Amino acid sequence: MAILERHREQVAIQGGDLPEILLPTNCPGCGIGLELEELRAHNYVCTHCGHHFRLGADVWVALIADSGSWNERWADVRSHDLLDWTVPKPYQETVERLLEDGLNEAVRTGTCTLDGKPIWLATFDFGFVGGTLSIVAGERLARGMEQAASSGTPYVLISASGGARMQEGVLALMQLAKVNAAVGRLHDAGVPYFSVLTDPTFGGTAASLALLGDINIAEPGASIGFTGPRVIKQATYADLPPGFQSAEFQLAHGQVDMVLPRTELRPLLAHLLEMHT
Amino acid sequence: MSVWEIVELARHPQRPYSLDYIRRIAPDFIELHGDRLSADDPALVAGIGTWHGRTTVFLGHQKGRSMKDRVARNWGMMHPEGYRKALRLAHHAAKFGFPIISLIDTPGAYPGAGAEERGIAAAIANAIMEWFRIPVPIVAAVIGEGGSGGALGMGVADRVIMLENSIYSVASPEAAASIVWRDNTRKVEAAEQLQLTSGEILAMGVVEEVVPEPKGSASANYDAAAEALDEALHRHMRPLLELDASELRQHRYDRFRYIDSLVHAEPHFGPKID
Repeated sequence: MAILERHREQVAIQGGDLPEILLPTNCPGCGIGLELEELRAHNYVCTHCGHHFRLGADVWVALIADSGSWNERWADVRSHDLLDWTVPKPYQETVERLLEDGLNEAVRTGTCTLDGKPIWLATFDFGFVGGTLSIVAGERLARGMEQAASSGTPYVLISASGGARMQEGVLALMQLAKVNAAVGRLHDAGVPYFSVLTDPTFGGTAASLALLGDINIAEPGASIGFTGPRVIKQATYADLPPGFQSAEFQLAHGQVDMVLPRTELRPLLAHLLEMHT
Repeated sequence: MSVWEIVELARHPQRPYSLDYIRRIAPDFIELHGDRLSADDPALVAGIGTWHGRTTVFLGHQKGRSMKDRVARNWGMMHPEGYRKALRLAHHAAKFGFPIISLIDTPGAYPGAGAEERGIAAAIANAIMEWFRIPVPIVAAVIGEGGSGGALGMGVADRVIMLENSIYSVASPEAAASIVWRDNTRKVEAAEQLQLTSGEILAMGVVEEVVPEPKGSASANYDAAAEALDEALHRHMRPLLELDASELRQHRYDRFRYIDSLVHAEPHFGPKID
């Protein structure tokens, strides 16, 4: 994409500043020995085979937001175990332990700039109960979208989610409607909405906000779909072909606009923002 | 009754299905077919009928009773074409100012390769978003199984009610067991945890009313069940017919935007948050 060259020069690749992540000693894609500094400078994409490592919300914020521009909102929002969910693990304990570990729910959101342009950013965190859409996640998403719609600020979403959170029952399901109502407001207000789908994006998250972007961008090799392959095999006894539900499969089936390496994401978003505002 | 017995009642093969209700409450019902793009999805019946003196669009998941019929109806599990058919009929309703009744009775959207290849996630996502734009009154009723996104894709309405022995859940007990335990045989435990019975769903503020079923459940008396459902649907529809399109849309938005406001959350969730 030659059109991006100018932006690639203008926009600093922020890889050097990314927080450290836990890495295996060898790349799961090609088996090569991994070196943290090199990988971090390359946005946690294997320099040898292009394997994209999963990133937490803190890394995504560092990757997308201009340095020092992130203003997180509603980080204090909490909900409680409403179903008295005890087996196989007490849900309340699971949530409290994750909070103690420094994760803050499956979605974090706030405002920042990208290449100097103000945006709303929301990013899922797969490390928090599989990035599942919960009441807190839905609330943060809907509030941010409502504010983006009224201020006319472009909205960028990074998704990595197993779907709706089982342990919050039907109210987790209701988050699909709550969030999609807000997505509709973004669209009605003429506000750009760019959705980045990373590995994995499934279930209620795919069936709500993640596939409703004005432009949907998938990471190479990401698994994206509604029903996970294990459940499809159990339900239909089907043999699923290699690459089923991959980003490339979704591109071929018309669900995403492009499959884009992570190292090109920031310049592309900067360019898209410029084209749409 | 145990939770699992309620799940079995909700799925009972003799339980009335959408067409059993629609033919009773709107005897002149005309079924309409096709999504105008590629196919017709028999797991969703759609059409128009005269209901309390007014042409009304009816939509409903449809299960089959004989094995042949079950296969043809795909056990009430919709493909992407079904959601597109539903929206086509919603736009028909909008054009002519017809109210919409949606009857929900599905284990979930079809969990198969073909549905994935044709974009089931996006079809549901788009349906959920589009329902908020439909400028006519919508009343939905869960009449059997309300399973997952497949149900919610037909469940964005101004009022949602449930029959007494129906269930509404984030996922079927089997799917939830498969996700949480990685073992779909733990379905009974999953059902007990999910709080999917009508009384529990009402207490959470997710539906407006639970409609009592005749003695021995809806399966025992189709006419009485249809009469009770008809009365409740009409009682909920009547005040909606007085609202103009922008009031309806705002009400529908608020209904789902603050649907979890009964939940103990910090700081309290509710309208008018900075």
